[in-house]
Amino acid sequence: MQLDESRPRSVRSKLRSAACLLLTAAAPRMVQAQDPAPSPTPTNQFDLTGLFYSERIRVLEPTIRYTRISPGGRTFSGQFGFDSITGASPRGSLSSGQVQTVTSASGRRRSIAASELPTTEFSDSRFAVDAEVQQPAGPFSFTLGGHFSHESDYESRGVSGKLTVDLNHKLTALTFGGGYNSDTVSPVDGTATGLAPPGRFTGIVDNPKHVTNMLAGISQVVSRRWLVGVTGSLSTEDGYLTDPYKILSVINRTTGVPISEVSERRPDTRSRKSVQGDSVYHFTSNVLYLSYRRYWDDWGVKSHTVDGRYRIPYDESLFVEPHLRFYTQSAADFYRYGLIQGESLPSYATSDYRMAAFRSVTLGAAIGFKPSRSTSEWTLRAEYIGQFGDKSPPGAVGVQSTLDLFPTINIFSLALNYRFNR
Amino acid sequence: MRTFAAFILLCALAGGGCATVKPWDRDLLARPAMKFVTCPSLNGIDQHVYFSKEASMGGASLAGGGCGCN
Amino acid sequence: MTDVRQVEDYFVGRFAAMGGPCEVLIDADSPYRARHAVEIAEVEARRIERKFSRYLPESVVSRINASNGRLVPVDDETAQLLDYAASCYEMSDGMFDITSGVLRKAWTFDGGGRVPAADAIRDLVARVGWPRVTWKDRELTLPAGMEIDFGGIGKEYAVDRAAAIIGGEISDPCVVNFGGDLFATGPRRGGRAWRIGLEDPDHPGRTSIDRLDVSGGGVATSGDARRYVLHEGKRLGHILNPKTGWPVEDAPRSVTVFAETCSEAGTLSTLAYLRGRGAEAFLRAEGVRFRIV
Repeated sequence: MQLDESRPRSVRSKLRSAACLLLTAAAPRMVQAQDPAPSPTPTNQFDLTGLFYSERIRVLEPTIRYTRISPGGRTFSGQFGFDSITGASPRGSLSSGQVQTVTSASGRRRSIAASELPTTEFSDSRFAVDAEVQQPAGPFSFTLGGHFSHESDYESRGVSGKLTVDLNHKLTALTFGGGYNSDTVSPVDGTATGLAPPGRFTGIVDNPKHVTNMLAGISQVVSRRWLVGVTGSLSTEDGYLTDPYKILSVINRTTGVPISEVSERRPDTRSRKSVQGDSVYHFTSNVLYLSYRRYWDDWGVKSHTVDGRYRIPYDESLFVEPHLRFYTQSAADFYRYGLIQGESLPSYATSDYRMAAFRSVTLGAAIGFKPSRSTSEWTLRAEYIGQFGDKSPPGAVGVQSTLDLFPTINIFSLALNYRFNR
Repeated sequence: MRTFAAFILLCALAGGGCATVKPWDRDLLARPAMKFVTCPSLNGIDQHVYFSKEASMGGASLAGGGCGCN
Repeated sequence: MTDVRQVEDYFVGRFAAMGGPCEVLIDADSPYRARHAVEIAEVEARRIERKFSRYLPESVVSRINASNGRLVPVDDETAQLLDYAASCYEMSDGMFDITSGVLRKAWTFDGGGRVPAADAIRDLVARVGWPRVTWKDRELTLPAGMEIDFGGIGKEYAVDRAAAIIGGEISDPCVVNFGGDLFATGPRRGGRAWRIGLEDPDHPGRTSIDRLDVSGGGVATSGDARRYVLHEGKRLGHILNPKTGWPVEDAPRSVTVFAETCSEAGTLSTLAYLRGRGAEAFLRAEGVRFRIV
């Protein structure tokens, strides 16, 4: 159904010339679209979202977002969110193949089965506030944003700014943005000394972490049906970047049985880069959303992400949107499934599976419903995320080579969004 | 960083040449579905979920805020 | 006088001209500019109707049709329309022919089943054929017995003219719609598209079968909705094939085309309609935005 722009348009071009001659005296002109939005009264829009997410940990995350569009075109939006996380998270240590008892930070004792990876029970809650103001000015649009979030061991404060320029009769848009976050990591029982046995602390209560990020992007209307965009981003972090609760097992070099544990340690700087391409293509009634992101950082992690959604509307009020995402990442340079007893300690090491090499597949579907004669919208989305890693890495020693060192992670999530105007 | 700037600039120049969409052909582009992100709230949640389960971050938007989840 | 009223956040002016309902939509907050736009449209529509309607004895077309083979000099505007008609004849391989109006004498498109006799058609077809007209140096010679009419291009031309004059006087986005052929001068404030209903051929004047988003340009529809004849269970539209004298076979119920001007949209929709079953392939090959019902 593509418009065939390449073949000679025999009648159409002859007709164009004929019509130009016919209408030389007075040709109907096109007027430019006028900005800003015309409504004489400001519109207030509310988004209520609830996320329920379950794997080993369970997360419940309600958020409220309020957007106000003023007659002058200025938009203000504020969002308040609350996360509640409970469950068991892998500590990073290895199982022994024998019954193992683990003492958790809060003093609870928990026995786990012989072949399972040890986990820690935890429960935490977090709240976050975000605000943003956007002001259009001719072909430009300026955005200023702020962020604050707090949980028991982490606090984050940030500001960001963005500039968008519309060019080429609004067919091209350039975006430039930057942000700065100043975070504080305050581990619950004190900051563990990296690569030292658990129980040794640095004595620092509040560890600073600074993140600077920048992005530049361009979006282009390619044809009547097709919108594409490319964005590049660069982010640098410095400060405390280690996960304070994760540990690594030190294992016997022949049997593979864990002997002792050390806290993990990550570098104190990180430089991340990514390039992402996006495409939105409108078929006769369905819309295809595709994106590809290439990411790499100086910790050795490289990843590819391919994400596709296909929106199928049934009429004005209902759509179904299946979703598929493929993700692969390479391991960080300092990722170890465990340390070998007797070998010298590396400068940095982590067993956090999120720093390992793995593949992930997301399969999901969303349903959108807009009741007739109403400006409200409901969106319900269910997704499954699977993460698959190397169950038996080549360096696995002794008993570890018989155990599953990367159990498949299955995550189910359900999100509901209700948007309405007042 | 310089490679980014060059890449973006190249796309800008290339993009400018392929813009032949006439005003009367902008019907579809005005529809709410014709955006890279159709629901910012759900997109924000997704970013947060993937950020806390993977080592990668970001892409087409600035990082919102930190959390202890990674 | 002119009926102009506010609907939601825009204005609509209505009047009757060119044998049908005419409407002008103005996306403005000033009722004065809206009224001004509607008046311009009404004045221009009536001017063109007076000048080119074959039903009015003092019109240029009636004068030409009564010329009985004599040479008729014409003014610039009529010359431009005749040049346009000549181009349309050529690019349609003779299917679009402004001398085919005489064929209407044989047909009554009232929804009934009456079809003309074969020899009546043959006699009329003998009086059709643009190549037999001498059109040169701003002078027209129409052989006796032949007639011309601008029925296929007049209304669209009037829409473009009205929109052009309005555009020269006010900058608010407008839609000029004469009997279903329209031109939008630009998107509504805030970049919103105009919502144009596509008439349901089975329920003309009542329900819309679909909604089209138009941000600018011309839109015209050719179809059999209002004027047709029922013959052997088939619906035959009122656009006649000038070579056979009969309505186009297997024509789509309705063809809507979007183009840079209403004139082009109207001509393309008529050309497509004249191709009957080949309408869709034709429009697709031309790379235009269209809807066929």
